[in-house]
Amino acid sequence: MLIVQRPSPPGAAGGTYRAFGETLRGMKTTLARVIEGPKTISYPEEKVPVYPRFRGRHKLHRFEDSGLEKCVGCSLCAAACPADCIRVVAAENTPENRVSAGERYAAVYEINLARCIFCGYCEVACPFDAITMGQDYEMSDYNRSDLIFTKEMLLDEPLERTPLRNDGE
Amino acid sequence: MPKPAAETITFTLDGLEVDSPAGLMLADAAKLGDVEIPVFCYEPKLGQPVGACRMCLVEIEGIPKLQTACSTPVRDGMVVLTQTDRVKEAQEAILEFLLINHPLDCPVCDKGGECPLQDITMGWGGGRSRFIEPKRHFVKPLALSPLIAIDRERCILCYRCVRFSQEISEDYQLVLQERGAHSYVSTFDGHPYVAPFSGNIIELCPVGALTSQAYRFRARPWDVEGSGSVCTLCPAQCNVEFTVRDERVMRVLARDHAGVDDGWLCDKGRFAYQSVHVDSRVTHPLLRVDGELVPVSWDRALDEAAAGLRSAGADTGAIAGGESTNEEGFLLAHLMRGGLSSSHLDSRTGGTLSRDLHAALHAPQRQACVEDLEFAHALLVLDCEPVDDAPVLDLRIRKGIRRNAVKLAVATSRPSSLDPNAAAVARFAPGAGEAFCAALNAALGGEDTVVDELAAAAGADPAEVQALAAVLTDAGEDVVIVYGERLTHGPRGEHAARALLNVAGRVITAGHDGCGLLELPAGANGRGLREVGVLPNAGPGLTPVTSPGLDSGGIAAAAASNQIEALYLLHVDPLRDMPNRRLWKKALARATMVIAHAAFLTDGLWEHANVVFPAESYAEKEGTVTHPDGRVQRLRPAISRPDAVRGEWQVLADLCKRLDHDPGVLTGPMTSATLFAAIPFLAGLTLDEIGGRGVRWPERPQAAAWPQADGGPFGLEAPPFAPTPNGDLRLGTFRSIWAAPEVELSPALKFLRAHQRAELCPADAQRLGVAHGDQVTVSSNGSQVNAIASLRASVPGGTVFLESGLEQDSASELDAGLVEITRA
Ligand code: SF4
Ligand code: SF4
Ligand code: SF4
Ligand code: SF4
Ligand code: FES
Repeated sequence: MLIVQRPSPPGAAGGTYRAFGETLRGMKTTLARVIEGPKTISYPEEKVPVYPRFRGRHKLHRFEDSGLEKCVGCSLCAAACPADCIRVVAAENTPENRVSAGERYAAVYEINLARCIFCGYCEVACPFDAITMGQDYEMSDYNRSDLIFTKEMLLDEPLERTPLRNDGE
Repeated sequence: MPKPAAETITFTLDGLEVDSPAGLMLADAAKLGDVEIPVFCYEPKLGQPVGACRMCLVEIEGIPKLQTACSTPVRDGMVVLTQTDRVKEAQEAILEFLLINHPLDCPVCDKGGECPLQDITMGWGGGRSRFIEPKRHFVKPLALSPLIAIDRERCILCYRCVRFSQEISEDYQLVLQERGAHSYVSTFDGHPYVAPFSGNIIELCPVGALTSQAYRFRARPWDVEGSGSVCTLCPAQCNVEFTVRDERVMRVLARDHAGVDDGWLCDKGRFAYQSVHVDSRVTHPLLRVDGELVPVSWDRALDEAAAGLRSAGADTGAIAGGESTNEEGFLLAHLMRGGLSSSHLDSRTGGTLSRDLHAALHAPQRQACVEDLEFAHALLVLDCEPVDDAPVLDLRIRKGIRRNAVKLAVATSRPSSLDPNAAAVARFAPGAGEAFCAALNAALGGEDTVVDELAAAAGADPAEVQALAAVLTDAGEDVVIVYGERLTHGPRGEHAARALLNVAGRVITAGHDGCGLLELPAGANGRGLREVGVLPNAGPGLTPVTSPGLDSGGIAAAAASNQIEALYLLHVDPLRDMPNRRLWKKALARATMVIAHAAFLTDGLWEHANVVFPAESYAEKEGTVTHPDGRVQRLRPAISRPDAVRGEWQVLADLCKRLDHDPGVLTGPMTSATLFAAIPFLAGLTLDEIGGRGVRWPERPQAAAWPQADGGPFGLEAPPFAPTPNGDLRLGTFRSIWAAPEVELSPALKFLRAHQRAELCPADAQRLGVAHGDQVTVSSNGSQVNAIASLRASVPGGTVFLESGLEQDSASELDAGLVEITRA
């Protein structure tokens, strides 16, 4: 036969502590925050500043002097992209229609931002620093297809909507 | 020279024993031991190695200096080291040298991602450059030809392209100019490198120095998928790989198959894919309503076609063009013989041969294969021009002569591009193949007395015939005869076939490997179509039919005289592809119902077709085709069909159903299976067995089911005399490789589109007062064509050659025989 040994039952004070002790500890934390005031940010009126290396929506760049596109349509970003969301169709520059500095240029450059995982590999792969990750993270839209950003959209000066976190902030 | 048997030897590779066939170059033998030796200039397809790049250096015990693995044959007991410090140092040094002048172009270079120089630099290079001096510069990119762009800065001077031009295609156009670091690839005087096989150098170049103008910047290797199929633009049926991006064919690459193409393609096969995506393609069923072809629904088109066929019934004639697959031909025969009780169907363009002659000419024991061209003792090229009729075989013939000392005998009417390589050349009058074969037969049999007379009938020189016979008898026992289908064309085609079989009987040992006959059909799948029953006098598998129908010429004549009401044109525009254009014009105009499967509305269809079903392109097709040597090959769809295009087997099956003769096929593979089951010598064949390499049915045991036929010797009648040129000239016709709608419609190839030229010899030209380049009119029997006079010293006197298959001024406007030439 198995004999079970039980501890003696707690007294009244001990019983109360057992029932409410943990709750009180929790309440202590809660009450302590009350005096700190609210931390909620009223997005979109207010925005959290991002770090300088935050990887948001991409930008394509032009040379400042000549205005030519830096991208030569080499498709290396598309090769590097783990989400397979970049599509490049290249074409040849002609003297009448010179778009980029090299022999070829991107006739079509599209990033499907609905698929992008913002890993930044495209930026690393680009041999001409033609594509970089920007800070913008506000890209929601009503339509999936509107999330396919074309070359023109990526080349456009983006609306600087996202505040940048200053040094040491 | 018969194919040599290789013995096996053993050598040591990095400490491991490796077995290899004797005589293999080390670069290849090392692969057997799973060691890759980097190479740039080495390419076994190009013949003897040249050791130009030094990339392949290895250490061999007992030899103090490093050796080039690409040019050192492996020997028994050899001890080879590929991973020592000395070898590594040498490899790094060579790469450093190669990159000294190499531009940093990878991002804009078309080769990027599939570039051996990139790969080998990553794998074997030092990873660092010490060179800071300026690099060598050339103007770039330049057009080497309208098809090929050259970037000389990227060239690593491996010689591959030059060797191809000098030793493979033997057009002798590309050379290396200047010396040392200033060397560059070019034609001698800078003229564009235009040749039937020029595109191959794009694939050969190990860097991005030679790139395709048509593919330039279209895609990267990671953007595309490769899809293997077969080119059906000519009977050579080269194995190709379509590069596909976004459901579009972007380029065509060779898919190396020693039994078919040896890894080469002609420029038509390489660039004519562009015609798949042109705007003028028919992509909807069309119906003629009030004289105009308008797009209609499939149901409407099929109903109209079925109604037309039903009312014509047995008065329907059908022609299948060369690019139709076996399945399509089979279903067409099913439709005609079963649904309409008509046997008026044909896939040949020039008259009927009896079943027995078909069976004898293509009997498995008398069938040569493509590889035999390379290893024969002697080869007779008879009444065909390989570079036009099956281009890639031209390279094979040249290879055999160059590497295996094959003795070539050429017997043609028109001067052949193989003449300079031939041990004996004989010319005969156009269309006199029968008399020529009879003369050759007599010469081979030692009946010298009749040779002279027969040669005279053929318009040939008896001495040439004798010399030709001597080549065929003296070379050795393996003799291959390559003949054009046109030899057996015409009203006396059967006599010509018998004469040919007599010649074959004298020089070919039936049943012996390495010799035999090889026909170059007029259509890409000519052989397959005949074997599946698209003949007026034979059903599937060359089975006898109770009441033979009319052949193509007969169909035209019957339609022109209102005896045939409906015409079914499967991938053929008779005005383009058939002889006797005048008769066909009348036939098409008189027929009440003309139903066509077509991808493009060529003239005849544009004017006369009542119903046009959109045809699949060869990149979309599913089915099988049969190579002239009996290899059944499989077409696989590389891209999906555009717009409303349907599988044509399905269209034919639907029509059969509407005519209450359901073939019971629901899918493409099911059609193939039904076809194989219906043909005794293909019994048991499956698409899986055919796979990507094809199966030669004459080599399968079921080949025994091929109908037996008497192969001769036959008693020959005296052939008629070729017409004597009495001031007028004999007309010879040929169809060049470029005379095809696919070429005209492909933007890249447009510049090659054929124009009518009248080729004649300078003596005749002088007599007629015609100079090279003059506009002339060639006329016979009231019809005429315009042409540019082209003087060729090698054209035999009294003969003029015109091209057929052209859109305008095609030779098919004229009747065979004598023509008159006047300056326009
Ligand atoms: S950030 Fe990453 S996932 Fe997004 S486009 Fe670039 S490579 Fe592709
Ligand atoms: S040839 Fe190869 S290594 Fe040279 S630029 Fe082109 S891709 Fe780069
Ligand atoms: S162009 Fe290409 S194939 Fe020709 S020598 Fe230069 S690197 Fe070799
Ligand atoms: S030789 Fe014939 S089959 Fe080969 S690529 Fe050229 S057209 Fe196509
Ligand atoms: S591969 Fe051996 S020298 Fe070029």
